[in-house]
Amino acid sequence: MTVLVSPSRGSSLWQRWRFHLSALLLILPIVFTPAYLRDTGLFDGVDDKTRLGAHEIGEFAVGPWSVRLAESWTGKPGFEGRAGYAKEFTMALCSACIDSVRAAYLRVGKPRNVRTAGALFSGAPYRQTAEIRIPERATADDLLWLTLEGWDGTLHQTTIPIRIASPAMTAWLDKRRR
Amino acid sequence: MDKALHRNEGLENRTAPARSSRARFWFVIHGWLALPIWAFLFFVCLTGSIATVSQEIVWLANPVVRANAPARDAALLSYDEILAAVEREVPGARVRSVSRPVKSIFALTVQVTRPDSSIARLFVNPYTGAVQGERGAFDFQEFVRALHGWLLLPFVGGFWIGWYMVSALSIPLLGSLITGIIVYKRFWRAYLRPRLRWNKGKRIFWGDLHRLAGAWSIPFIAIMAVTAGWFLIQQILNDANVSISTAGMPLVVARADVPVTARGEPAARINLEQAAEAVRSQLPDLEPSFVGLPSNAYDHITVGGRGNYPLLFESVDVNPYNGKVERTQRVSDQSALELVTGSMRPLHTGDFAGLWLKLVYLAFGLLLTALVFSGMMVWTKRTAIKTVKIVRQRRQARLELEAAE
Repeated sequence: MTVLVSPSRGSSLWQRWRFHLSALLLILPIVFTPAYLRDTGLFDGVDDKTRLGAHEIGEFAVGPWSVRLAESWTGKPGFEGRAGYAKEFTMALCSACIDSVRAAYLRVGKPRNVRTAGALFSGAPYRQTAEIRIPERATADDLLWLTLEGWDGTLHQTTIPIRIASPAMTAWLDKRRR
Repeated sequence: MDKALHRNEGLENRTAPARSSRARFWFVIHGWLALPIWAFLFFVCLTGSIATVSQEIVWLANPVVRANAPARDAALLSYDEILAAVEREVPGARVRSVSRPVKSIFALTVQVTRPDSSIARLFVNPYTGAVQGERGAFDFQEFVRALHGWLLLPFVGGFWIGWYMVSALSIPLLGSLITGIIVYKRFWRAYLRPRLRWNKGKRIFWGDLHRLAGAWSIPFIAIMAVTAGWFLIQQILNDANVSISTAGMPLVVARADVPVTARGEPAARINLEQAAEAVRSQLPDLEPSFVGLPSNAYDHITVGGRGNYPLLFESVDVNPYNGKVERTQRVSDQSALELVTGSMRPLHTGDFAGLWLKLVYLAFGLLLTALVFSGMMVWTKRTAIKTVKIVRQRRQARLELEAAE
């Protein structure tokens, strides 16, 4: 029995190109360039709609002052090892209160005093960020407590429901509870 | 197979008797380490070479990042004068940090937050304080670094796949280096009598280039493979939430040190010249090239720069209300592991001794890129073709055998 074997077109293509296939990895940076540019833009607040962060939650009155609050990124909380899970928020002080607010703090649940007021915001008054810890027992029905401390030592607080502040964190907390 | 490998070596000992099977084994390993990923490795080496001088490329392309002196004897502005100049030109903007490369051709980079909540990096003339321009939405330097370092891939579920893909290349790189040294007998002859035969056909040319570039780049490849390997280990440790820092808890200004003001206006802070004075008394050798302004009422003024050990930055934190130095992070304060870790990035990028070293890194980076390409050419032009031929011959022989039956 005689069998005539000639390499098929497919196999010769394979022979020819198999060592160059890793070039296909270069599709990745091409695909992710728009996402990269969007993320760097988000980081710098270059876009009007996402000036403070990926999700602007709204403006909140805190005593005589007011702030705008945003989720920096619209993802679920990230795992930080021993510190547990954490989530970043961005805040801007109203232009009239820049010089009277000394510090701002954010946490899940009511603080007992200013030393437990939560994560301290860092940055310029127009854009400061704080990464808050998510306690083990936290639920999606809990409140975020925002504490502002004046240069004269006065404290003012307000609360924002997690359900309003962050849909992603709400979904994550609901899932974790189940 | 035997013959193919033999032809393939093209090494100096062609006259030697049949090579030991161990040498042949290493040769095959050397060939296969990078071949399947050569295009990816080539891309990473090329973008890395460009990244080395990306800042200089921007300097050539964009006049606003240059530090042109208005006169030959013009004096550099002090940090306080820089802040005043920025306030004059961009009213209301809050300065977060000032980077001032010492004796540099580059303008100062001043990071500010504007009243509209956006962040900008301003290029400020260090002599006149003129804001010459700002970094655009697309920054070539950052883009090339991101392209080289993680292929622009985002974090997915806290896992940085792009970083792993690139830093894992350190394994085939290190393997190629070691096996290359093993199979290239008496490689040092390439230092004494370099040979590049460009007129004897492609195979000879690419083979000569591969050996020549390889031998000359041994130290450079070793640096790249080890530093990149360390980046891989560091990311693994990071993802496993293992910390090697001895810096301890973030430093905050004591609550008692932050004045309460009766009328509710911000408490007075020292100026940057006073902060610099405090730093000078503490670390006289430090050449301050970076000043970070307090990012909230409980934060310090941070002054950083290079001391006597060129690879690492040292920094000093100054209490902005009373001018006390509350923390110094000297090279000598760091653990051996931190010293090694901190030295890896400057060693990888070559950005610690000036332009000349960057150009050396660029040259060797391009040589490494050529090495990857020539390795592929050698392999596909010789061994792969030979291998295919041998496989075909064997198949033919088998078929003939079958036909005979």
